[in-house]
Amino acid sequence: MALLVLIGLQTPLRAQPAPGSNVAVSLLPGASEAPAGASIPVAIVMKPKPGWHGYWKNPGDAGAEATIAWDLPKGVTVGALRYPVPERLIVAGIMNYVYEHEHALLTELTVAADVAPGTRLPLGAKLDFLACTDKICVPESAQVSMDIVAGAAGRPPVKDPRFDAFEAAMPKPLGVDGRFVVENGRARIGIPLPATLAVADPYFFPLDYGSLDHSAVQTVSRAGDLLIVETKAGPNAAGLATIAGLLTIGKGQGLLLTARPGMVPAAGEPIGATGGQKAGGPGVIVAALAGAILGGLLLNIMPCVFPILSLKALSLAKAGADEGGARREALAYTAGVVLVCLALGGILLGLRAGGAAVGWAFQLQDPRVILVLLLLVTGIGLNLAGLFELPAIGGGSRLAGRSGAQGAFWTGALAAFVATPCTGPFMGAALGAALVLPTAAALAIFAGLGLGLALPFLLLGLVPALRRRLPKPGAWMNRLRRILSIPMFLTALGLAWILGRQAGVDAMALGLGAALLLALGLWWVGVRQGRPRAWLPLAPALAAALAAMLIVPLEAPAGAKAQPVLQGEMFSDEKLAALRSQGRPVFLYFTADWCITCKVNEKGVLARSEVAKSFTSRNVAVLAGDWTRGDAAIGRFLAEHGRSGVPLYLYYAPGQEAKILPQILTVGDLTGLGT
Amino acid sequence: MKHLFPIAAALLLGCQTALAAPPIGSQAPGFSLPDANGKTVSLDQFKGKVVVLEWNNPGCPYVKKHYESGNMQKTQAAARRDGVVWLSINSGGAGQQGHMNGAQAKAFVAGQKAQPSAYLLDAQGVAGKRYGAVTTPHMYVIDKAGKLVYAGGIDDKATANKADIPGARNHVLAALGELKAGKAVSVATSRPYGCSVKYAGG
Repeated sequence: MALLVLIGLQTPLRAQPAPGSNVAVSLLPGASEAPAGASIPVAIVMKPKPGWHGYWKNPGDAGAEATIAWDLPKGVTVGALRYPVPERLIVAGIMNYVYEHEHALLTELTVAADVAPGTRLPLGAKLDFLACTDKICVPESAQVSMDIVAGAAGRPPVKDPRFDAFEAAMPKPLGVDGRFVVENGRARIGIPLPATLAVADPYFFPLDYGSLDHSAVQTVSRAGDLLIVETKAGPNAAGLATIAGLLTIGKGQGLLLTARPGMVPAAGEPIGATGGQKAGGPGVIVAALAGAILGGLLLNIMPCVFPILSLKALSLAKAGADEGGARREALAYTAGVVLVCLALGGILLGLRAGGAAVGWAFQLQDPRVILVLLLLVTGIGLNLAGLFELPAIGGGSRLAGRSGAQGAFWTGALAAFVATPCTGPFMGAALGAALVLPTAAALAIFAGLGLGLALPFLLLGLVPALRRRLPKPGAWMNRLRRILSIPMFLTALGLAWILGRQAGVDAMALGLGAALLLALGLWWVGVRQGRPRAWLPLAPALAAALAAMLIVPLEAPAGAKAQPVLQGEMFSDEKLAALRSQGRPVFLYFTADWCITCKVNEKGVLARSEVAKSFTSRNVAVLAGDWTRGDAAIGRFLAEHGRSGVPLYLYYAPGQEAKILPQILTVGDLTGLGT
Repeated sequence: MKHLFPIAAALLLGCQTALAAPPIGSQAPGFSLPDANGKTVSLDQFKGKVVVLEWNNPGCPYVKKHYESGNMQKTQAAARRDGVVWLSINSGGAGQQGHMNGAQAKAFVAGQKAQPSAYLLDAQGVAGKRYGAVTTPHMYVIDKAGKLVYAGGIDDKATANKADIPGARNHVLAALGELKAGKAVSVATSRPYGCSVKYAGG
């Protein structure tokens, strides 16, 4: 017996790749021993030579699906093959759904309960598949074999660690059905996906021939919690009962779903946009542009922008009636604003094209940027409060006097940069929509946002009549300036809070410390104002700020991260076992960012105070597992509980096995637990 | 507003010539191509006759499956017996695998004892793209009224294995039989299978 097990442990290492082919094929068991009456995963690992590819289940317009013929001993059965998320390859306009790199097809091998432990089980398979380059195709055949040993029933199989990676490459079941409509030769598929989920390069791979035209361009839009794919319908699309397929939402990340006939809103009706327009027409882009300009205009009254702008405007009035100078300054300010908006938009588009899941105000996700903004806003606030004078903003001083246009340009750039924290909450969705437009159109919308932001000042500069209507400069201006420091300090307060949320209380203290140092430095500057080298005292403050930036933690310490809705801990098998052994009731749930049902339950049920109260009163421990990236341990846990995907809600009463709760939760389901 | 497809993919797709697959029941697109002897052959000279189009690439394993087994020749012979016009078309671009000149095409037809009415050379891919031909073989049947009545694979066993031929449904023969009997074509589309057409510039 011991000898047999030893042999069993060794054989998988000798799984033979078929020689001489363009795609090396090998058979790999997930465990050397398969317990009688249980299943182990089996992988068919395929490794194409460079330049060669194999095909997905639906090969696309050309190519072929692999077929497998098993040669199995009595008592052994295998399931259907599962395919990892494919890639697209277009050769001369013909779409191929392929794998250009090493990949593994997975299946489950089941040993019947009556197979005696220790029985040697020789497995064989003949795989017929097509290997192609972009020039030629070769049908290949691989004969692969391996031995496993039947284990004693109930013994958990040893898992090969490579299977975690194989499993992670598999598409995840979306868990809800999509809808589709076919009209005028076009197919539109609506896929429920949380609006909060960022997707990169989305593409819908149809599983069956004939539903969609593989080679046609797919246009993808978001409308709230729905992602809409529109493309040319395939030859069999009319009268289809279902369209099954795989939606990719990022590199190697795919969701399996089935769509059924139903209403799908016309593509290109993002949140907040006006409907009834023909998709993608120039009219739509003009409308979006107008929206962006309006949004930018609104930004002027935001607490972080208004003080800068109003003072700048007043300084313009104070500068007198120099017509040309005013116009130059207004144009320079506009250029500063628009360029910063374009730069932020351009970086954003670049990052998106590179596959990063970022949204507007992405730069605010970095605590270092928040720190810079905090110091900047604090500095501006102190300036407004009168602690010191700053040439560019205060106006009438050396720099502005020497080159008003240059000062105005930097004021504009500053206003646009400082404005971004305010854009996030109310412009985020609309700007997110801009991101999926063609580059030029998207950049036009960012520029429009900047133009809107610059518009009031631009008008003041260009229209003398408006300038004349500004109140006469006087002592009241200083008073207004002091008052305007209040919204600036409020903005600083908000930024400090964000810093604390992002990087923990230490980082917040660090940021506030740096702000204090800056304030002291600026105070000193103010005292020395007018003397030569008045700015010298600022050097140590800047050095301190720089040091703070280097040491500010980039992530919140564990436990201080954005919490799952219920105050809970991250799931692990060990933690679950530990809590259960303590005799505590445990509520365990699994979620994923792309899972709409999960999000609905979390918002509508898990976040309710009744639930939290009920759990606290009964000392229910909460564990949450995030399967967004297909964590293998969670995948195994789900499989052990008969699920292929999320959501999964479980309740462990003390000393009892798990009770699986419904996928659509109600408050009563949770408050009623254990009573 | 339309959320266009992410830029990279759009650029990738943008530089290709569009393949247009005409829907079943529509007028079959016309074309004029040189045959293996250099003579120009136009689709419209076969008005009033049933026409079969076969996209061909002699080097493709799937084409070999049907020629080396004699299945394609048998299908051609059966069609020709009923007065059907059979046009084999090679849309392989110059320099691409499977591209042939007139002499090579004649040698292929003679060597395989193939029986097309004509073997047409479409090195520019004009006819291929007009029909949305994506694989070799890719089969089309045009009825006497010039309407497209079948587009797809030669049969329903999408493999390169000759042993699969006897058990397969030959969609082209079935369509021709139904046309002859005055019935509607029951399977009007199927998945075309094989190697991709090696268009020029690909």
